[in-house]
Amino acid sequence: MFKRSFKLAGVALVAASLAFTGCGSRTEATTGGSAGTNKIAKIGVIAPLSGDLSALGLGIRNSVDLAIRQANESKAIPGWTLELAAEDDEAKPDIGKNAATKLASDDAVVGVVGTLNSSVAQSVIPVLDAAKIVQVSPANTNPALTKGADYLTAPARPNANYFRTCTTDAVQGPFAAQYLLGEGVKKVATIHDKKSYGQGLVSEFSKAFTAGGGTVVAAETINPDDKNFSAVISKVKGAGPEAVYYGGEYPQAGPLSKQMKAAGLNVPVMGGDGIFSGEFIKLGGSDGDLATSVGAPVDTLASAKPFLDGYKAAGFSEGYEAYGAYSYDAANAIIAALKVSLASATDAKSAREATIKAMSSVSFDGATGKVAFDEFGDSVSRVLTVYAVTSGAWAAKKTGELK
Amino acid sequence: MRVIISDQTKVQYRYPARAVGILGAVMVIVSIFLPWSYGQGALDDVGFTGAPSPLQMFVVILPVLVLVLLAIPLVGKQRLGKVAKVVAWNTSAKTASIATLVTVTIALAAIAIELKGLANVEIGGWLALIGAALAALATPFLPDSPEPTLERVKSPKWAQIVGIAVMMAAVLFAAAFALNQTDAGAFLTYLAFLVGVVLVLRQFGVMGWIGIAGANNNRVLVMSAFIVAFAFPFTQDGSDANMSIASQVLIFAAAALGLNIVVGLVGLLDLGYIAFLGAGAFTAAVLSESAFSTIDFHPPFIVTVLIAGAVSSLLGLLIGAPTLRVSGDYLAIVTLAFGEIFRITMNNLDGNDGPNVTNGSNGISGIPELNFFGFDFGEVHTILGVEIGRFANYYWLMLVVIALIIVVFMNLNYSRIGRGWVAIREDELAAEAMGVNTFALKLLAFAGGAFLAGVAGAVKAHHDVSVTPDQYVFLESAFLLAAVVLGGMGTVVGVLIGATILKLLPEKLRFFSDYRLLLFGLLMVIMMQFRPEGIIADERRQLEFHAEDEELAEEIEEELITHHAHLNPERKGFEL
Amino acid sequence: MELFFQQLINGLSLGALYALIAVGYTVVYGIVQLINFAHGEIFMVGAFGAFGTWMILGQPKDWSVAASLFILLPLMLLGGIVTSVAVALLTERFAYRPLRNAPRLAPLITAIGVSVFLQEFVRLFYGRIPGFPDAKSAIAFPAIPGISGESIQVGGVLIQMPAVFTIGALAVSTVFLWYFVNRTKTGRAMIATSQDADTARLMGIDVDKVIVAAFGVGAGLAAIAGVAHGLSYGNIDFRMGFLAGLKAFTAAVLGGIGNINGAVVGGLVLGIVEAMATTFIPGQFGSSAWKDVWAFVLLILVLVFRPQGLLGAKVVDRA
Repeated sequence: MFKRSFKLAGVALVAASLAFTGCGSRTEATTGGSAGTNKIAKIGVIAPLSGDLSALGLGIRNSVDLAIRQANESKAIPGWTLELAAEDDEAKPDIGKNAATKLASDDAVVGVVGTLNSSVAQSVIPVLDAAKIVQVSPANTNPALTKGADYLTAPARPNANYFRTCTTDAVQGPFAAQYLLGEGVKKVATIHDKKSYGQGLVSEFSKAFTAGGGTVVAAETINPDDKNFSAVISKVKGAGPEAVYYGGEYPQAGPLSKQMKAAGLNVPVMGGDGIFSGEFIKLGGSDGDLATSVGAPVDTLASAKPFLDGYKAAGFSEGYEAYGAYSYDAANAIIAALKVSLASATDAKSAREATIKAMSSVSFDGATGKVAFDEFGDSVSRVLTVYAVTSGAWAAKKTGELK
Repeated sequence: MRVIISDQTKVQYRYPARAVGILGAVMVIVSIFLPWSYGQGALDDVGFTGAPSPLQMFVVILPVLVLVLLAIPLVGKQRLGKVAKVVAWNTSAKTASIATLVTVTIALAAIAIELKGLANVEIGGWLALIGAALAALATPFLPDSPEPTLERVKSPKWAQIVGIAVMMAAVLFAAAFALNQTDAGAFLTYLAFLVGVVLVLRQFGVMGWIGIAGANNNRVLVMSAFIVAFAFPFTQDGSDANMSIASQVLIFAAAALGLNIVVGLVGLLDLGYIAFLGAGAFTAAVLSESAFSTIDFHPPFIVTVLIAGAVSSLLGLLIGAPTLRVSGDYLAIVTLAFGEIFRITMNNLDGNDGPNVTNGSNGISGIPELNFFGFDFGEVHTILGVEIGRFANYYWLMLVVIALIIVVFMNLNYSRIGRGWVAIREDELAAEAMGVNTFALKLLAFAGGAFLAGVAGAVKAHHDVSVTPDQYVFLESAFLLAAVVLGGMGTVVGVLIGATILKLLPEKLRFFSDYRLLLFGLLMVIMMQFRPEGIIADERRQLEFHAEDEELAEEIEEELITHHAHLNPERKGFEL
Repeated sequence: MELFFQQLINGLSLGALYALIAVGYTVVYGIVQLINFAHGEIFMVGAFGAFGTWMILGQPKDWSVAASLFILLPLMLLGGIVTSVAVALLTERFAYRPLRNAPRLAPLITAIGVSVFLQEFVRLFYGRIPGFPDAKSAIAFPAIPGISGESIQVGGVLIQMPAVFTIGALAVSTVFLWYFVNRTKTGRAMIATSQDADTARLMGIDVDKVIVAAFGVGAGLAAIAGVAHGLSYGNIDFRMGFLAGLKAFTAAVLGGIGNINGAVVGGLVLGIVEAMATTFIPGQFGSSAWKDVWAFVLLILVLVFRPQGLLGAKVVDRA
């Protein structure tokens, strides 16, 4: 009985393999069409293209698409045509892993921009690392992704293929602390949403703030899906802070600011680039609230013009959102590395490892300022700007470099 | 159809109907040698003359079936012998021709959408459509055949085993081909084709026969199913892309099978089941040698699995003990609340709002690959000349876990405990009155189901490399429940099918990904209205949902009798 | 002490919100023994209905306080109630009614399906209405002059006007409910049906009509809660119904499911417990991040020690 079943499985195998080889003659006719003599290299995107984070994800995809189109137009890499391969991760780690596996098994893929969520990145990085594909994230802020588990005491880079264009919390938090201290604020309450971004921001901020002579009078947390902050606000209010530093994103920060003022706590809310969005003001951010963001203000930055104009001209139906500029820079960083690695490569797959090597020497002025990576793969950009809500819109307050 | 066309008309037109049907089928068969679309890129490139694409080769099976089913009876039933009388020729031909029409229509619609415009459909496509339409219009004019009685025909054992093996081989082949369809339109066309073939075979009587053969050779069936599942990675030619999906389907299915004990057998609605999977995953992650692990105890994986299962079942007891007494709808909401408690707690145990166990929302990443006696799951192994990648290794491991779960499930289902569970599901008060210890049995189901999920979670931790709280949200519990409900509560095959559908379709049909949840919600509602027992119905369950349907009750009774007659051939006098 | 009273006010306002939603669970459960899992979504739909009314009115921003309070707000409430009731009755008619005699599992699973469907429907299609904002992320709820941002100072305690509105709405609704249930024919038919549906039918009560009334009343109150939520927290989004619905159900069980007064008491207790837990549980577990956990732990404790709820009138074990 057992033997017979084995035989039958064998028959099945033979049948299956026959079917896959049976169509060999057709494929020859398809190639050699309009692509010309250029070879194809693909840049992948892994981001949430559907679901409730799709606005951010589509912004990432479109910005990468724009960078690729511009590179193809200017023939940035002679002899090669770049293509976009966008995969949806639904903001879920296991779907992200499927997407990464799919991209890794496509021999033309030489680099990937993504992911949006740090938790998805944790599943995606090992897959891409095993395939030696460079990955540049526009949005992950978890410090452990580049510096390992003991990122504070003994930083060690876990994956050589991983880079990011967004700054980590270690830059934004201290810059905000210095600004507040400079404004004469000595007592601050901190609140964060327990996500890696918010938590990291607050802990870096608190360290710099107390080191500079200020006091953190209350440290609170909220759940990311909370709507009602009255209990926290009452608790914070009792401590009498002069400002509230919030680690998190605008969907909570806007209502928090509004509810604070309604509860009689009339002090500014300050946050990182996660709240630097028009939505923050729409959802309740009021005049005097502050945010830090990376780079000099986009309208004063000459190197941001190709992105802003290009995005408008390309006619995408979605906005570029919070991470568009970072994604554009991430794609251009990969393209800059490809200029080196593809120049001598015969096929895309063999250039994968050289691309990772070339990333460390990438340096240019991008949409968010200077783009280059340190020995851990983190962005070296340390130029930041403080923005304040002034009559219902964000206005640049102070641009400086974190020392 | 049966209502509109009278029997008299059918007898009158049976010859022209057969002729037109055959003509239509031939047209479709010819069409695959003509291009179906202008230009390339539609489906799997159907724009060639004289060289049908793999998909077209499959699709053509349907019109060939129509042709065969219509042509063979022309030989004359007397000459065909006994077999001809126990199968349904005409009705199967009708089903086949309608399936052809549906499949061809989907294919053409996909071409039109993918190449933007109906103008891109070429002569072959139109010929196929016209042929299929002709056949579908003509075949209803054939006289209805009687219900097939193939399953009552005695067949030798070797034929039954060959039948099972052929079916399993077909399943393997079909699954491998389906997974390799990267194009959504091609996938849908293929799906329509598969459903069509299954329906035709059912109509013809083959499925009934296979069912009986399977029941008679239960071991062969189960064994060959596992062999086929085991052989699946060999069809993937070293590619990891599909294996990554397949191994996830198995993890999901394992958890769904655990939930099936709780919901399907005992009838307790658990809406926080994903928490047990999560508890297993977190336990395994913390006990692994990841750099992010927070405790200094790293036992071998075999031990870890048992601990993970134990932790999950402990949580099951913890939540079950107070709530199983009040029973009923409360349980649903309490388990839902428990799921939320679990997620929030995992999020909070970060050293900030509680002791540091899970690193909060960052979770535990960098979980090392499993290594069994030098067999590294992260490495690519070459077996029989085929590269077996990382995900295939985990796929095999999950296969073992699932086999274990199925063995446990089957044995429990047909034991004293299983009968006690079903009794509780049907009528708890009556069960209690009959001396069934309902509380202990419910608790056992709850803890047992949790244990299985914990084991699956432990493998998932290593498979996923990282464990974070945001994977264990309510929606995942709802998906697990949907897998059980969709497939068929209380059945193993049904739940496996349900899990596969729920995990595979979103991967293959990315174009509607934004509407995925909307359709999911709608599907749950519609399913409950029209087929609450699921795709594969557990017979007892089916009766429960259609209590007033006398006909169904009789049908099932009859089925059971034939079934028993086959199982016990010597007891011929098994009559009503 | 000041902090205690402040949190008491916070808790009461939150609890009033839960109570308004909880009534819907309790009324429906009392009559058809169905946990209408999608009720949280009815609450969400009510908030979007009120917002839509404001959009249709031309997004009035600078109406006077009186005009806002006596024209705009009632219109928005009405819009919210109409939307909620319509959606609730549609789900009752097409999703639940065909399953009235089905095993218990079927309507419960249907309810989950309806819940997911309604969330996704709002997320995907609300923005497709011409001129309406996209509902894929949170939408700022309009400010009503006289309520939004206003507050009264009592000693050291600040009482916000939206809180006053929420608690007031609960008070008015409770009185209305009492009158409706005890003094109107439909209300008394509801009591009769909840006590014994078969006998009630024999007495000539149209049970279908009673069930529709129960769904309608619950949906109406949920819509009021939706508006209160928008005013209190300043924004609404398609996911707001899930957690709120879960909490409200907890409140209903807390008070004794099937008991209208119980739902009100349970809601208020739950709200106060949540607010107090944030302030008065010491150490790490007193963080606001744990407050949902405490609410659910309370639910489990109640089920263990007092399964009939605080005001329990119903026998719980009816499964």
